[in-house]
Amino acid sequence: MTLLENLAAGFELVANFESVFALAGGVLIGVIAGAIPGLSATMAVALTLPFTFAMQPITGILLLLGVYKGGIFGGSIPAILIKTPGTPASSATILDGHPMVKNGQAGKALGMALWASCTADLISNLALILCAGWLAAFALKFGPPEFFTLILFSLTIIAGVSGDSLLKGIVSALFGLILATIGLDLVYGTNRFTLNDPNLMGGLNFIAVLIGLFAIPEILAMVWNPKSNEGETQSLGKEWVTFAEYKRCFKSIVRGSFIGVFLGSIPGIGAAPSAFLSYSEARRKSPNKENFGKGEIEGVAASESGNNGVAGATLIPLLALGIPGDVITAVIIGAFMVHNLQPGPMMFLNSPDIIYGLFMGLIISSVFLFLIGSVAIRAFRYVADIPRGILFPAVMVLCVYGCYAVNNNIFDVGVMFAMGWLGYVMLCKGIPAAPFLIAFILGPLLEDNFRQSMLMSGGSGEILVRGPITWFFWTLTIITIVAIIRSGLGKKKAEAVEHGNQE
Amino acid sequence: MYLLKKIKMNKSKLLISAAMSVVFLSNSAFAADYPSRPISMIIPYGPGGATDISARTISEPLSKEVGKPLVMVNKAGAGGAIGSVAVQNAKADGYTMLFARVGTHTVNPAIKATLPYKLEDFRFVGIYEINPVACAVKADSDINSMEDLVARAKAKPGSVSYSSSGVGSLLQLAAAMVLKEFGLENPVKQATHLPMKGGGGAATAVLTGTATFVCTNSSALASFVKNKQLKPLLVTTAEPVAGFDAPTSKDLGKPNLEQLVGWTGVAGPDDLPDDIAASWGKWLGTATSNKEFKEKMEARGSVIRLMSPEESKEFINKQYNQFKALVDELGMRVEG
Repeated sequence: MTLLENLAAGFELVANFESVFALAGGVLIGVIAGAIPGLSATMAVALTLPFTFAMQPITGILLLLGVYKGGIFGGSIPAILIKTPGTPASSATILDGHPMVKNGQAGKALGMALWASCTADLISNLALILCAGWLAAFALKFGPPEFFTLILFSLTIIAGVSGDSLLKGIVSALFGLILATIGLDLVYGTNRFTLNDPNLMGGLNFIAVLIGLFAIPEILAMVWNPKSNEGETQSLGKEWVTFAEYKRCFKSIVRGSFIGVFLGSIPGIGAAPSAFLSYSEARRKSPNKENFGKGEIEGVAASESGNNGVAGATLIPLLALGIPGDVITAVIIGAFMVHNLQPGPMMFLNSPDIIYGLFMGLIISSVFLFLIGSVAIRAFRYVADIPRGILFPAVMVLCVYGCYAVNNNIFDVGVMFAMGWLGYVMLCKGIPAAPFLIAFILGPLLEDNFRQSMLMSGGSGEILVRGPITWFFWTLTIITIVAIIRSGLGKKKAEAVEHGNQE
Repeated sequence: MYLLKKIKMNKSKLLISAAMSVVFLSNSAFAADYPSRPISMIIPYGPGGATDISARTISEPLSKEVGKPLVMVNKAGAGGAIGSVAVQNAKADGYTMLFARVGTHTVNPAIKATLPYKLEDFRFVGIYEINPVACAVKADSDINSMEDLVARAKAKPGSVSYSSSGVGSLLQLAAAMVLKEFGLENPVKQATHLPMKGGGGAATAVLTGTATFVCTNSSALASFVKNKQLKPLLVTTAEPVAGFDAPTSKDLGKPNLEQLVGWTGVAGPDDLPDDIAASWGKWLGTATSNKEFKEKMEARGSVIRLMSPEESKEFINKQYNQFKALVDELGMRVEG
């Protein structure tokens, strides 16, 4: 059968009331769950799983996929409106999304998040349908040494999100790296900086650090200086995103989508690094470079396309190899197993109807995401109109509740407040929080993969340059670092010249 | 930070004394109307993992038996230690129970000296599922049996590696134990342990050729074996496992390996009253005979086997002692 015939057969399987309803319902559940801080997309998918046991296999899996996609988008709503990412994947969206709200462009930011998400979603789905086999073969070439070089390259993102001072960015990243070392050592299993407290053995909870670092300092600043924003109303902005803006950001969106597709097809990376990488690439290439971090719509577009581009692509290792790329797809594999389906190469031969049914369903899900997302942001954007005196205490309650809900652990709430104070000090000193977060995510990955590589080679460093993929990332890393140094020197020179002129 | 810790300490002291006074005052008083309110069921791993799915699947028929809602609480982190400690310190009134697993209650206590709890801190009210363990290599590997694998490890020390989901996991212990059983004197020195993050990563490492073999729950390998991506070398049960065309421990004449299985059970704090334990034994009995539950669990490759509170205790202690002896012999204990 040709691809088209297969797709037609798949369409037949999906073109019924139950499947369409499951998809729409899934997206709706996902958007709402994603929009509530602390109720991550993972949790929403895990909680929906038991309901799918009684359904037809395809209906159940489509429901879960709907929740997944909706959840990843939904997380951007609180990230933009109240600077509290609903899911870790949307933390990059804060960087420009929240400043846009402060500029009175809440509607615009949300609209662009939705458009970028849906575009990336579509590209990601098409990549899954057209090049699953090729990308899966590529993903299988990724061992610890390849991971190590990829992550080393990704750490250069820090320069892209450091704001004005690279030095301050590096200080922030160092904080992140140090705090990320808390917990159990991967290779020896020994305790590191746990102070004999079992709560610290698992390391600092990621969500607690995230919320503490971004949302709490804002509230503390408000408590410290309640009158700073008096008189300034946050007009919600009836302003909607225009097609011209979409067109302007289109290149960044496509680039972000492809970054998402590549990183998504490699198991074990996840959506947050992809969003940051897409963001920093967009900033590097954009003519509006200076405006990034101050409310640039292209920044929102880049990070949202980066994280949604992952959603379809994580299904590539899942369907083609049977490997779950992240926790969410691990849950979805559970749904396959309950119906006695074993995802992997044989499934394309044994039950192609289901595979192509899923493909069709995914395409339809992008449409639902657009429709349901539009309704959701119209409802949610009024949050930007709530007076700060009411909004901030409410956000505070949400943060505490959300942080607790992740692991039902009061210790995490303590971590959140401690991080909040750290974040506040950083805010006062003008140290950006994003490098901290990136180092906190990537640092442990870098260390683990380095040490795994060393175990594999028996301590020889040669393994780190063992193949073309490693060479590729080493080259990229070197080029990027040289570019950063050169632009830094150039800036200094320009400043010196300016200084000279003034005198 | 110090203040926080102090408050926490006081709280736990308070809890313990409260628990003790309750036990002294009314050991049997509330048993008659137990349960009179919802019961918190702690899952020591994150949502979506094998334990989580198993727990949520049994909670359905179980809550019908119990008659009060079972509130599923995920308390993940530190290889299940955080959730386990929460139940260790809970009141022994039967309103906080734990889904205990082979990793949290036999492997971890055997390997880690610094674990904040001991096996004796818990009272088991039943084990309800057994997960056979299988070992597998990549499908196109020239290793076709355990003998091949051990021969290679002996010929060139360090050339054979095994992946696991981390230090103190069943996967790490299983691989070492299997190698030892098949005649490798010092698996820790002669083979390389590659800890990955999570069970999914461990199987993937074999697929990508990063590690030579992996030993884990058969359910985690089933789809790879069916898709001919991995080649099973053995299963540790005496009975064959469906879908695994590999010799059993009985075929291979290694009865010791029969102890090497995963399991999930329910436990409370060690001073849980007898009648509450007995009620749980009864409830688990009815829940596990539920046809729908059985079908769902077996579809995922687990074997439903109910053990009474006494049987569970005996089974777990036996497994723990065997694991501990092996860990001591091989010097695998983590002290720091």
